[in-house]
Amino acid sequence: MSTTTLTHDEAHHHEAPKGWRRWLFSTNHKDIGTLYLLFALVMLFLGGASAMLIRLELFQPGIQLLDPDLYNNLVTNHALIMIFGGVMPAAAGLANWMIPMMIGAPDMALPRLNNLSFWILPAAATMLILSFVIPFFPGGGTQINTGWTIYPPLSLQVGMSMDFLIFAIHLLGISSVLASINIIVTLLNMRAPGMTLMKMPMFCWTWLVTAFLLILVIPVLAGGVTMLLFDRHFGTSFFDAAGGGDPVLFQHLFWFFGHPEVYILLLPSIGVLAHVIPAFARKPLFGYKSMVGAMLAVATIGMVVWAHHQYTVGMSLGAVTYFMIGTILISIPVGLMVFNFIATIWRGAMTFETPMLFAVGIVLMFTFGGLSGVMLAVVPADMQYHDSMFVVAHFHYVLMPGAVFGLFAGVFYWLPKWTGHMYDEKLGKLFFWTNVIGFNITFFPQHFLGLAGMPRRIVDYNMMFTEFNVVSSIGAMIFGLSHLLLLYIVIKTIRGGKKAESRAWEGAKGLEWELDSPPAFHTWTVAPQIK
Amino acid sequence: MRIPDYQTLELRRKNLRLAWGLAGLALFFLVTSFPFWTGIFRIVGTQAVQ
Repeated sequence: MSTTTLTHDEAHHHEAPKGWRRWLFSTNHKDIGTLYLLFALVMLFLGGASAMLIRLELFQPGIQLLDPDLYNNLVTNHALIMIFGGVMPAAAGLANWMIPMMIGAPDMALPRLNNLSFWILPAAATMLILSFVIPFFPGGGTQINTGWTIYPPLSLQVGMSMDFLIFAIHLLGISSVLASINIIVTLLNMRAPGMTLMKMPMFCWTWLVTAFLLILVIPVLAGGVTMLLFDRHFGTSFFDAAGGGDPVLFQHLFWFFGHPEVYILLLPSIGVLAHVIPAFARKPLFGYKSMVGAMLAVATIGMVVWAHHQYTVGMSLGAVTYFMIGTILISIPVGLMVFNFIATIWRGAMTFETPMLFAVGIVLMFTFGGLSGVMLAVVPADMQYHDSMFVVAHFHYVLMPGAVFGLFAGVFYWLPKWTGHMYDEKLGKLFFWTNVIGFNITFFPQHFLGLAGMPRRIVDYNMMFTEFNVVSSIGAMIFGLSHLLLLYIVIKTIRGGKKAESRAWEGAKGLEWELDSPPAFHTWTVAPQIK
Repeated sequence: MRIPDYQTLELRRKNLRLAWGLAGLALFFLVTSFPFWTGIFRIVGTQAVQ
């Protein structure tokens, strides 16, 4: 990595630009990271509002607030906003902030591309929100009642809002692919001298794998929705059975993207855990090499088991057997990661600051979500659980602890580094407990609802499901409102608080902790030497 | 194009080469998601039988 020498030494004398130009034209990885995180925070609240409306509607049987199409429009909107607007940009924000600082690089490899990757997002979000609101205007057509999977033939019949959604998905995909290219190039070409791949921080490894996954699967989704657009407007019949097409082809294309997407959401948070747990257990990460191997195995197997989402569509016995065995096999490397975290905690001198509370919560609750995933992987069982509230409970137990709590752990862990202030620990812990308790009250009862036969994506339900739905909705209000506390803590920490040291946490290790808190506008202008 | 002041020309070229390679990989996956290849397989299969 001798090529990382500087061409001139003045880089570190540059001051941050002032005003709106700083943000609009930014090529600085820290500023762009901040933009990503703020964008994700806004989308988290938008997606959360739609979730709370869904749960308000389900508080009682019968139709209270939302007509069936609006209910399903909200279901679609909630999923897309949370996945593409909330979790992915938040993880990209962490990557932008931390990767250059962790590998001793002055910035991302392609800084202008970095700016473009972010600024595509607000345009995409506008299209996404328009797809939700367009049906409310005269001539706006029908609502998107398909769910985030936008399966044909229903998605061929939806009004013009589907076109807005397709273009939004295209824009989001372009943004993700450009950001992924930048991250891979940065990680492979910009590491400090002496930092071999096997010395790279685990968060960087998780992002390297995630970025490759994104490059491989996002274009397939883009291809699928492009064909959908052609079927809708240009007379083709890729998915239209009446014209000789096959709607199941879309399901295969969608889930070829959709299943690796789960790992795209999970892996960055696993990377955060691999820093938080050793820091607060005051022990090195157990099994670094096996973690890297497990991650590669998860990504590889995860790419070839997509059709477990479509067992009920009528595939051959051989095909479903293959997808079932492949899916269950993933639990081996995922289990290895979890055991590595437990082994890191084992006999550690642990303290339970907020990031560590989230980390321990993730290990427990994500494992629970993984176990219900093994249940769903089994074909005969899945025939019963398919499209029930059990599936809703399962994927929220995977994605909330596995992805979102990991991001929360990362935000609390690195907030002192970013802002130069320690956050209020009491409020942080209060946020953790209200969040986790609210989450479990919301989603745990949904397992029972699903097992008892309550279908998902239907606005009304049988009287026999009332009690668990009431509990779930009360939990959702606690859970949703608890995020206001997160907002307050973040604003309070940005505005002031106890000064954070360079190494904000006693057990924290890595290049990023050798920089000031907050770090200078330009960091690592002279590459560090790694022994 | 102006080179960012922390990159040498050599590193800049190396970065761009890799970036274009990755963009090509993404393009390959995009193109092959269109099911034209099922027709190619069918043609190849038919010719093999003949």
